[in-house]
Amino acid sequence: MVFPTLQFVLFFAVVYGLNLAVAGAAAWRKALLIAASYVFYAAWDWRFCLLMAGVSAIAWAGGLGARRHRWARGLSIVLLIGTLALFKYFNFFTLSLAQLLQDSVLARDLSLLRVILPVGISFYTFQAISYVMDCARGEIAPRRNPFDVALYISFFPQLVAGPIVRAADFLPQIDRPFAVDAAMRGAAVVLILSGLFKKMVVANYLSVLLVDPVFAYPEGQDAAVTALAVLGYGIQIYCDFSGYSDIAIGIALLLGYRFMRNFDQPYRARGLSDFWRRWHISLSSWIRDYLYIPLGGNRGTPARVTVNLLLTMTLAGLWHGAGWNFLAWGFLHGLALAAERAIRGRTGALSVLSIPVTLLIVLALWIPFRASDWDGTLAILSALTRAEGFAATAITGPALALIALGLAMNWLPMRWRDRVEGGVIRLPAWAQAALLAAGTVTLFAAAQDGVAPFIYFQF
Amino acid sequence: MGTRGNPTFLATLWAALILAWIFSGEQFLDLMFAMPDAGAVDDWLLGIVVRAEDMRAAWGAPDLFASWRGLLHRTFGLG
Repeated sequence: MVFPTLQFVLFFAVVYGLNLAVAGAAAWRKALLIAASYVFYAAWDWRFCLLMAGVSAIAWAGGLGARRHRWARGLSIVLLIGTLALFKYFNFFTLSLAQLLQDSVLARDLSLLRVILPVGISFYTFQAISYVMDCARGEIAPRRNPFDVALYISFFPQLVAGPIVRAADFLPQIDRPFAVDAAMRGAAVVLILSGLFKKMVVANYLSVLLVDPVFAYPEGQDAAVTALAVLGYGIQIYCDFSGYSDIAIGIALLLGYRFMRNFDQPYRARGLSDFWRRWHISLSSWIRDYLYIPLGGNRGTPARVTVNLLLTMTLAGLWHGAGWNFLAWGFLHGLALAAERAIRGRTGALSVLSIPVTLLIVLALWIPFRASDWDGTLAILSALTRAEGFAATAITGPALALIALGLAMNWLPMRWRDRVEGGVIRLPAWAQAALLAAGTVTLFAAAQDGVAPFIYFQF
Repeated sequence: MGTRGNPTFLATLWAALILAWIFSGEQFLDLMFAMPDAGAVDDWLLGIVVRAEDMRAAWGAPDLFASWRGLLHRTFGLG
């Protein structure tokens, strides 16, 4: 079940109503939201629910023991990482091993072994790990009630593609009485509609009109069309993922929960480190707090910091997907971050170019991310040097308009958005709902036929 | 922080959903048949939806959703 579908609209209409009905009873509300989250997840495959329950149980038990016993913390972290490794990376490692062994019988057997990737596993195992770590560090008190942890891990708005919510932010909210006022409703309406617009209009149409045809057949494209498709993919992935995050944050707000912002106009970043403070903020801050800083972070010699950056970003790349292209994408980001660190303060007048240079680097690094394998990456790079393409994809007015729209979203002053939100907040409740309904119907009408999956679902 | 307005918000959303069902042709019927089998309650659910669809068809409500969709796609060249 994905957000921009009639199926989800009906599901949410029921859950929202029931959530209001039990608003005064915290225990019932908790039970309702856990049940709804498991129904939501079971819509993909009910067997995944057992896995999610197992991850929740490990996190709950690990959190209880983590403060007093180092082994409890270690064991639960190993189990959680092991679960993620098994379901997410098993196929990658067996396939890589089979390629290495080539013609042997073992290679044939290995290539037949397959594990299904449960949707959202990277997100909820990271939440589980952060819960155990925060308990071990004494930053939060472990929950005795396993259902508190179960709700934190499974809460459906952020279950399958984030934001990666911190227990310290989420758990105190489940103890508070339900309180959704006009400001929360207004913000939710704006977030949901802007998220649906980003996903159903900008991302999906850019994908069909420009990005997919060029990446499917780079051999026939010329440099201009390919460059536009790479820019188009940058806009597509931004609108796809930030659109999902907006909808998730909006839905959570309507249910009475606040999530952190996950994107902050990333394509206007003045450097790679600034980009990572604006892109998928919940993952960047997770990686900083639970990986980069424990590795030593910025402390130590320049060589040591470079190693920390490379290791952290390569693992961040691997988090995105089990493939050499994602590893390379992360490693190259690490390399670029290390280079940026080395020249910091020495760029002088060239610093005025920081925004376009950062955008160019980020877009160039999206190529291996999108192109799924080396041959595809090389074909796109080759197309970027070709003067004429014998079968170049036509650049249509709507495609150019969508690129302009996507760029504008990164450049328009935030106060404009705040002004719109302020206007919606001042509307009476019935008008807020009518606006949400009319906007949703219009966006469903404007969308293509069928349901395009979110890019980040595969992670 | 108050919670006033939430029942009105919910009632309006449900009213909008019913209006969307009435004026969107067979979108909801298609959705019901596309959903995973709901087990024991599946026949019961489908029975309700089919009866509701018969009622809607008897009213002769126009498919405004399809018209709106056509207009948007033609105007913006969405194909």
